[in-house]
Amino acid sequence: MNCRCQGAPSDLSLLAPVLSEYAAVPGSLITILQKAQEIYGYLPVDVMYHIAEQTGTTPARVMGVATFYTQFRFQPVGKYLIMLCDGTACHVNGSARIADAVQEYLHVENGGTTGDGLFSFSIVACLGCCSLSPVMMINEDTYGSLTPAKVLDILKEIRAKEGAL
Amino acid sequence: MSIRIAVGKGSCGIAAGAAKVSEALAPLLAGSGIPLGTVGCIGMCWLEPIVDLYDGDALKARLVQVKPEDAPRIADAAKNGDFSSISDLIITDDDAAFLQKQTRIALRNCGIIDPDSIESAKAAGAYTAISHILRDGVTPEDVIACIKISGLAGRGGAGFPTWFKWNAARQSPGEEKYLICNADEGDPGAFMDRAVIESDPHTLIEGMLIGAYAIGAQEAIVYVRAEYPLAIKRLERAIGEARAAGYIGKNIMDTDFSCEFRIKAGAGAFVCGEETALIESLQGQRGMPRLKPPFPAAAGYWYKPSNINNVETYANVAWILNNGGEAFAAMGTEDSKGTKVFALTGKIRRGGLVEIPMGMTLRDVIFDIGGGIRGGKAFKAVQMGGPSGGCIPAELLDTVIDYKKLAATGAIMGSGGMVVMDESTCMVSMAKFFLDFTAKESCGKCIHCRIGTKRLQEILTRIVEGRGREGDIELLEELCNAVRDGALCGLGQTAPNPVLSTLRYFRDEFEAHITEKRCPAHTCTDLLHYEIHADKCRGCTACARKCPVQAISGTVKQPHVIDQSKCIRCGQCIATCKFDAITVE
Amino acid sequence: MQQIHFTINGLPCAAEEGMSILQAAKANGIEIPNLCNDESVRVYGACGLCAVEVTDDGRGKPVPKLLRACSAKVMEGYAVRLDTDRVNRSRKIALELLMSDHTGDCRGPCQLNCPAGTDCQGYVRRIAEGDFRGAVEIIKQKIPLPAAIGRVCPHPCEQNCRRGLVEQPISIAFLKAHAADRDLAGDTYCPEAAPRSGKRVAVVGGGPGGLTAAYYLYIKGHDVTVYDAAAKMGGMLRYGIPAYRLPKDLLDREIAEIEALGVTMKNNVRLGADITLEQLRADYDAVILATGAWSSMKMRCPGEELAGVTGGIQFLHDISSGEGDVPDLRGKKVAVCGGGNTAMDACRTAIRCGAETIYVIYRRTRGEMPAEDIEIEESIEEGVTYKFLTNPAEILGENGHVKQIRLQIMELGEPDASGRRAPQPVEGKFELLDVDLVIMAIGQRLDPAGLDGIELTKKGTIAADESTFRTNLDNVYAIGDATNRGASIAIEAIGEAGRCAAVVDSALRGQMKPYRAPYYSKKTVTAADLADREKQPRCQMPVRPAAERARDFAPVYLGFDDETVRKEAKRCLECGCHDYTDCKLIRYANMHVIQPERFGGVRHEAEKERRLVCIERDSGKCILCGLCVRICDEDAKQGILGLVGRGFPTAVKPEFQNPETVAVCMTCGKCAAACPTGALKWLK
Repeated sequence: MNCRCQGAPSDLSLLAPVLSEYAAVPGSLITILQKAQEIYGYLPVDVMYHIAEQTGTTPARVMGVATFYTQFRFQPVGKYLIMLCDGTACHVNGSARIADAVQEYLHVENGGTTGDGLFSFSIVACLGCCSLSPVMMINEDTYGSLTPAKVLDILKEIRAKEGAL
Repeated sequence: MSIRIAVGKGSCGIAAGAAKVSEALAPLLAGSGIPLGTVGCIGMCWLEPIVDLYDGDALKARLVQVKPEDAPRIADAAKNGDFSSISDLIITDDDAAFLQKQTRIALRNCGIIDPDSIESAKAAGAYTAISHILRDGVTPEDVIACIKISGLAGRGGAGFPTWFKWNAARQSPGEEKYLICNADEGDPGAFMDRAVIESDPHTLIEGMLIGAYAIGAQEAIVYVRAEYPLAIKRLERAIGEARAAGYIGKNIMDTDFSCEFRIKAGAGAFVCGEETALIESLQGQRGMPRLKPPFPAAAGYWYKPSNINNVETYANVAWILNNGGEAFAAMGTEDSKGTKVFALTGKIRRGGLVEIPMGMTLRDVIFDIGGGIRGGKAFKAVQMGGPSGGCIPAELLDTVIDYKKLAATGAIMGSGGMVVMDESTCMVSMAKFFLDFTAKESCGKCIHCRIGTKRLQEILTRIVEGRGREGDIELLEELCNAVRDGALCGLGQTAPNPVLSTLRYFRDEFEAHITEKRCPAHTCTDLLHYEIHADKCRGCTACARKCPVQAISGTVKQPHVIDQSKCIRCGQCIATCKFDAITVE
Repeated sequence: MQQIHFTINGLPCAAEEGMSILQAAKANGIEIPNLCNDESVRVYGACGLCAVEVTDDGRGKPVPKLLRACSAKVMEGYAVRLDTDRVNRSRKIALELLMSDHTGDCRGPCQLNCPAGTDCQGYVRRIAEGDFRGAVEIIKQKIPLPAAIGRVCPHPCEQNCRRGLVEQPISIAFLKAHAADRDLAGDTYCPEAAPRSGKRVAVVGGGPGGLTAAYYLYIKGHDVTVYDAAAKMGGMLRYGIPAYRLPKDLLDREIAEIEALGVTMKNNVRLGADITLEQLRADYDAVILATGAWSSMKMRCPGEELAGVTGGIQFLHDISSGEGDVPDLRGKKVAVCGGGNTAMDACRTAIRCGAETIYVIYRRTRGEMPAEDIEIEESIEEGVTYKFLTNPAEILGENGHVKQIRLQIMELGEPDASGRRAPQPVEGKFELLDVDLVIMAIGQRLDPAGLDGIELTKKGTIAADESTFRTNLDNVYAIGDATNRGASIAIEAIGEAGRCAAVVDSALRGQMKPYRAPYYSKKTVTAADLADREKQPRCQMPVRPAAERARDFAPVYLGFDDETVRKEAKRCLECGCHDYTDCKLIRYANMHVIQPERFGGVRHEAEKERRLVCIERDSGKCILCGLCVRICDEDAKQGILGLVGRGFPTAVKPEFQNPETVAVCMTCGKCAAACPTGALKWLK
């Protein structure tokens, strides 16, 4: 976690509509954080401070809530967010091999982002597409019945499209 | 004939390409007068995308595994009424039997109505129960009595009698009460709640309205997983339509009954499926369970009397009110009434959603409905209840589906995940998988769960990695019992179940891993040893070319060898070899 | 409020209706262990240590689940048990799990390596503060002869001192001696003895072990008589340690303090000759044998029977008992065989008796010598010649008196069981030395005279139980050099004596409590971890010049002044936990026999941070009870501390780890006060 003084300050005005709707509604912290993440792509520290100030709570509590839930990110994500399902069905059908293939090919850890900022990789709880297992989502698109070879083809195609090869 | 087309567009169908099929059909049908509609998920996930051709309410043809390129001939068939050109797409009788053996109550409208249309839902009977209650002066006590007669029990996992919770919340003093729907379906391998919301949101809304009326709540809140964006979207729309139609808001149907609806998106925490953790999360806090008592019926959301049920439970309510508690209670066993939805996944031939009356056997569901194991392998076990449940081995396949009978096996009914495993599934590794999950999902509050599940996971990890020690089985058992006894909430108390149940039925697999450093299912890579048999190897070089780490060497037409120090045990060589020259031990 | 009636462990209790079992127990003066409960904040239920079993719910049925006493309400007729197997098992595992993720040192490595468990860090701190009296009070909880022990102890404490990883260990032993000297010089500290129990204990042997046992048993309320065969008390301290290391008047004064306390001392009484064990058993409620090991071992080499061959202990004893009447060794050649501290004492004593040439015969090399290095160094300065890798093969005599010694030349082979490289003879290579006196200082053993009916070990020592110190005879205990593994250093005997005194006290009071080594949390620290510490070299003890000191028996060391002592004490890194005495975690842990190692695995990162102005936080010691977070939030209304993350990696952090927080914290200190372990330290 960076100190709030590091990096370029976030444009807090973007959050004003969200705060005006929810700041005074008790129990809305998670909703506000979700909206903030939609706006900024992740939760910058200065944004969390701002939310704490505006909702009359403490930064420690905002931090505590934000770090409790897996949905929240504290670093910008890559252009392509790969979410690999590790639900039971996907697990039984070999999601670990897919994870290995992705990590080896992109040199990225679970939760990390590639150096070029193109891909973020995250192993997630059940996506609910169990009959297509193993499954992953890249941004909005779902890919099912994966094999290590198939996954590499998909990633190579994206890289080619982005001129990253 | 007035044909209309409906494309099944649940998340699963969309993932399989249903949206693309729909997009391909739309321009072809433009101007033809043939309506192109959307329905939710029928539950036959292995056949997605599915396109249904209706004549009025009558299903004329169900087309399966449809591709966008099939659109022209489907459009033509719909226009001219001649289905012979698409006969290859029509579902086989064998597959169609999947539905016929079910009894659908919670899923009664799923895959049939348009989830984005309240009219479609009303045509299927939505809001008749609440209308009857409010119009004909059915009292909350009557409603609770009806639910009591039905024997409906919570479908989220614990199986607690629904009427009891409703009654407790009703009896709790206080004007301000809340009715909450737990749609934080977190069990990996269960997706019926998502299917209901995506396919038939009004049934959920109506069930919740009846519940709110029964306990005296003025506000109903649906806590949905953030991973279910489509469900949230459809539910939002449905709530809007219901409000416009006068079913939500102040003085519903001109009575004293008022009820507001709200959706709250979860943010990713399995523990929020535990009701007190869910309440904490609804209040914008870390989802850490509270001590019980007090129970939510006495002090729940904002410490006011609250009732929490899951989606499937509420989805049964309107049907029970319409058909009477006795009709529901007529189905099932002495101990468990009505139907239950299961998500059949894993190594099953027909994976999808199944709703059956309680009292069927596991064999009925897995073999008769699910079609048995995919790929001709042998059935090994079925995992039920996810991270809180356990596995049931082949010899207990004739166990009757019933809360008590399942609990006696060491598994639980749970929310209805049924993950089928074949002989290639390592049970130790399965136990580890679930402990990886619970350790990651532990909220960290109590010692037994925070450290206990972590230590269980570490012990299991060393066993599957070939570093198991003598005494590890006993250590696992001791720790499992301690965590079960000592953890604060249901997540922690049930976390040891997958370990205890696999130890109960597959102890020999643990022993093989620990003492012989051998994985009988050949899946724990650290314990595998691949070998090329010189007598069978023809030196075709196929395996050497396929090997991702160049661990295989040899000259053409000469037997090859595997360098064990390089081998990563990926198994690609075995898959490549045409001469069965490679074995794994 | 209505009163309800229930039982805890069978004891009838009453409490107000609506109380939790925890509150109700407290109201009845019964403690239920808990780590996460505090009256100033809402019930939390995290630790689970308060789990109790209700064996009767008032209607004749047990409650199936264990209940958390902090939240479960007590009900009329409840039979609450805190002592069932199930409760103990649950609590024990919870503590084991907690300890498996608790990284910290309960006690400093100095204390853990002290055979008597002396709180070195505690008294060093007092010395740093200039509170010598306070230091002696701490020392005397374990050592009744600190001035003597401070001078003679080979100080295992210093071996483990972490300062040694920075530059050199703290001079712990000298600090102790200094504090004790200062105390003896003024109004000497004398502990208060408990009311007399009427029980009588006989201690046989007035050495460090016997005196220690007598001292603590007296303090615990029993009347003690110490019998010793010698003319004066002190045992090996008097008759085995030369005066240049421990001035006899100092020893006299420390022994006088013990006598002044109330211990009866009887000298010139030899067991077996002047009094029998049987008689002692008849006259006393308990007998402690602390007779020591006074016979020198033999080499079993030809010529050992010649005149002019003597044992190390014998040699030292003869000189010491003469009280200044030393033999004249002027112009004589002396060979001392052995490499231990007795050999050092013997060779340096021989020098002081005027010997012309002194050889130390040792079969390994200097690196393997068990003697303290400083002793070897100083003996070399004083003129001792070392003959490493030699072993006496034969002592040659003339007219029945020693004339020469023939040495087998040795070389080092493979390491033996003790890890030291075993010396082996080099075939055919010998060396011949002219000598007048041969001192065999290769070990001591017990003289079993008078120990009628006492079972001995194969080694010929008294067989005493390791945890109760009992011999085969009822009410007869044994400690020190005379027992089990045989002779060792004084502080070992003192440690055993202290533990034995506690056991005997418990037995005299009707319920013997065997000694059980306490569980301590420990952490591993390497030099790299301490790389950021400022180097502060150890203060050097002023020593008399070798040429001067080798001529007399006056002390070699001149002593520190107060200022130096305080400076040296301030070097202490304070490794042990500041909260040890108040730590609930370690107290509960020691209520059970816990083995956290079996759950060994990953741990939270242990780092000390000081983000808040007056609180130092040690994350390794945090048990995530959440008390600090909740108190900061609910009681202090500050909300500065928060829980971050979830599951195993959950941590308590000040918001965003931000230094600006300092301005917000109102430094109330409530968090540190509530912390059940030493994770939070209040610096004000």
